[in-house]
Amino acid sequence: MNKGGAEKIFSVYWFAILFIVAAAIVYMVSSFYGKPYDVRDVETGLLTDKAATCLSLGGYITGNWQALNNNTFLAECGLNFNVEDAYGWNDNQYLIEIEFLDFNSGLVLKEISVGNPNLKLDCAVEDRNFPVCLEREMYTIDKADRQYKIKIFSAVRKTEKNAQ
Amino acid sequence: MQKKGSILAENIIFIILNLTFIIILMLFLFSKTGAAPVMEEKYAKQIAMLVDTSEPVMTIDINMEDAIEIAQKENMNLNEAIAINGNIVTVKLRPDSNGYSYSFFNDVDAKANFDTKTRTKYYLTITKNE
Repeated sequence: MNKGGAEKIFSVYWFAILFIVAAAIVYMVSSFYGKPYDVRDVETGLLTDKAATCLSLGGYITGNWQALNNNTFLAECGLNFNVEDAYGWNDNQYLIEIEFLDFNSGLVLKEISVGNPNLKLDCAVEDRNFPVCLEREMYTIDKADRQYKIKIFSAVRKTEKNAQ
Repeated sequence: MQKKGSILAENIIFIILNLTFIIILMLFLFSKTGAAPVMEEKYAKQIAMLVDTSEPVMTIDINMEDAIEIAQKENMNLNEAIAINGNIVTVKLRPDSNGYSYSFFNDVDAKANFDTKTRTKYYLTITKNE
């Protein structure tokens, strides 16, 4: 009689444990699949690569770099910063800043900035709900062997579709 | 005799309940991992990243067997499952949904076509934006 009672209590505990384990699995799966895939790290890397390839090819700085400016940069480098019409985004989800410096003196020769400049202010915060930023530098020369350093800073926001 | 019979019945009920519990849990997991909205988001972002890495002129094959299976179950026209308008990719696996859209920054002309031979993949054609 006692043995039967003990077995029943055991089975109640067994179901309680099973329920707790299932609830934990459901919570973990829901929280994992409920969040969007965050691809902004990849996106900033690709944006930086694309700009770098446009500005320097085969180690030589592009011939028309002095003619580049904020208005011509996107078209010259084959970029398009339009985004989908969602969450009140107003084509302001990207930022790219380029600095051309003299390699020896460090003097800034030219600056280009395209996109939403406010994104840079949030880059100091390392949180998923803020833009993802990336800064890279590269060395390049022109045909006359003058040396340059190019700094590329890129930022992608798109927070609503990549972080929650 | 009666006691033995009741023990057997209790054990069978116990096992059935356990199995039911596990089956429900597995169904939940499969429904979450293979759900259409998850697939739409995954492939929209993947295609956008592929277009960002591409250069004109290129053709890129994307194996989308799992997404195509879902689209077929939902009676979705497979030629309309991926749409690229301007620089926005939209993947739609259910006729009654708006799908999932994601933009790419590479200023190229991209088109997605369903591979009618294999019926398991799409191919992207990347050309220069005129």
